[in-house]
Amino acid sequence: MSGFDNVNSDFYQTSYSIDDQSQQSYDYGGSGGPYSKQYAGYDYSQQGRFVPPDMMQPQQPYTGQIFQPTQAYTPAAPQPFYGNSFEDEPPLLEELGINFDHIWQKTLTVLHPLKEVDGSIMNETDLAGPMIFCLAFGATLLLAGKIQFGYVYGISAIGCLGMFCLLNLMSMTGVSFGCVASVLGYCLLPMILLSSFAVIFSLQGMLGIILTAGIIGWCSFSASKIFISALAMERQQLLVAYPCALLYGVFALISVF
Amino acid sequence: MATAAMAYGSSIASHGKDMVNKELHRFVSVNKLKYFFAVDTAYVAKKLGLLVFPYTHQNWEVQYNRDVPLPPRQDLNAPDLYIPTMAFITYVLLAGMALGIQKRFSPEVLGLCASTALVWMVIEVLALLLGLYLATVRSELSTFHLLAYSGYKYVGMILSVLTGLLFGSDGYYVALAWTSSALMYFIVRSLRTAALSPDSMGGPSSQQRVQLYLTLGAAAFQPLIIYWLTFHLVR
Repeated sequence: MSGFDNVNSDFYQTSYSIDDQSQQSYDYGGSGGPYSKQYAGYDYSQQGRFVPPDMMQPQQPYTGQIFQPTQAYTPAAPQPFYGNSFEDEPPLLEELGINFDHIWQKTLTVLHPLKEVDGSIMNETDLAGPMIFCLAFGATLLLAGKIQFGYVYGISAIGCLGMFCLLNLMSMTGVSFGCVASVLGYCLLPMILLSSFAVIFSLQGMLGIILTAGIIGWCSFSASKIFISALAMERQQLLVAYPCALLYGVFALISVF
Repeated sequence: MATAAMAYGSSIASHGKDMVNKELHRFVSVNKLKYFFAVDTAYVAKKLGLLVFPYTHQNWEVQYNRDVPLPPRQDLNAPDLYIPTMAFITYVLLAGMALGIQKRFSPEVLGLCASTALVWMVIEVLALLLGLYLATVRSELSTFHLLAYSGYKYVGMILSVLTGLLFGSDGYYVALAWTSSALMYFIVRSLRTAALSPDSMGGPSSQQRVQLYLTLGAAAFQPLIIYWLTFHLVR
């Protein structure tokens, strides 16, 4: 298990260009040769992502030796260096980029549709929360006897793509696909409530229609609220809410029928 | 080597994205397309009202700002693509729902409905382009303008289908007649002034006549296509 995989796995995902690597092969410790210039340097600031200031590393090649734990190396700045040994590896969730606190905050934002939303919460696009919600939606549909994971994924993919094109055309600043998918996935949460109701009693009566309409309105209202504040679009909330309502309407159709 | 693979994957992804963007920009000018989506809620509401009741609107001229047409936010007469796109998607979903109510629904039928409507739209836009080209009419109407004007009929289609579902076959025919005449009036009034560029005062009168015939032909085509695409939903 090479320890060098851990160097880049801090919480804010970064990537380094493959050109920095001049030598691809590992030199395993049989002959114990020097492990020269494996990485030319880590330039965190190139990619324009979130860079916490304490993570900036100077451009220094790592000239330690693999599998020789007694080799002395000095990191140039005091920073959390994830070394070779097992105990120094970052926790799994941090490595995967799943932060339960952020997921919970965004969920609360969706659940309180009348609260003012801050536009910056969507700056880090995480797809872990939406994935959980999609799976939960499929699971509640399964409980009601409808095995339709394929439709759920297909419709969400097409819907996300359509919303992405529309929002890019309608807003002044562009929007990334991950942001659109993340917002739409989080606002799927009330739909899970609807499909869990469908397990208990059938939604095809008048009460079911009113409940469905209310939940579609709730989902699309919170989705459009987040989009409007994140993209600074003025006087267009209803225009953004309508395609979201169409998308969630299709999900509701799956739940009801 | 996981991080190396991830970096390679992300560089491949960004390379692919650049390639897609380049190809897309060769066919579609995104800035020109953005003009048609610069709408706000007030414009959409007024335009929908205009599509249903155009008889009292006085001024149909598209306003210009130093030879550049004003975006739809600031000019009610400017065409937009938001309403046609949303109306098309709503029409497809409504068709699926109507067929579902009649117990004739299956996902293939939805795709069939969508592709039929799309093909008729493409045929109409191509026919209009051909007509404009053959008549050597010099006008400001680009493909997107024609797409917008031929997409406004979906609003009428949705209204007809809804009325038909709520009030039965008679309601459907009444709504069909009303929306068809409103749409014909709307298209004739809009295209008559939109087809003329702002600095020309009409050109030779034979050209003007051909333009008029084209506009009338396009308008007369609308009720036929509305009927053709909706009657099987309101059986």
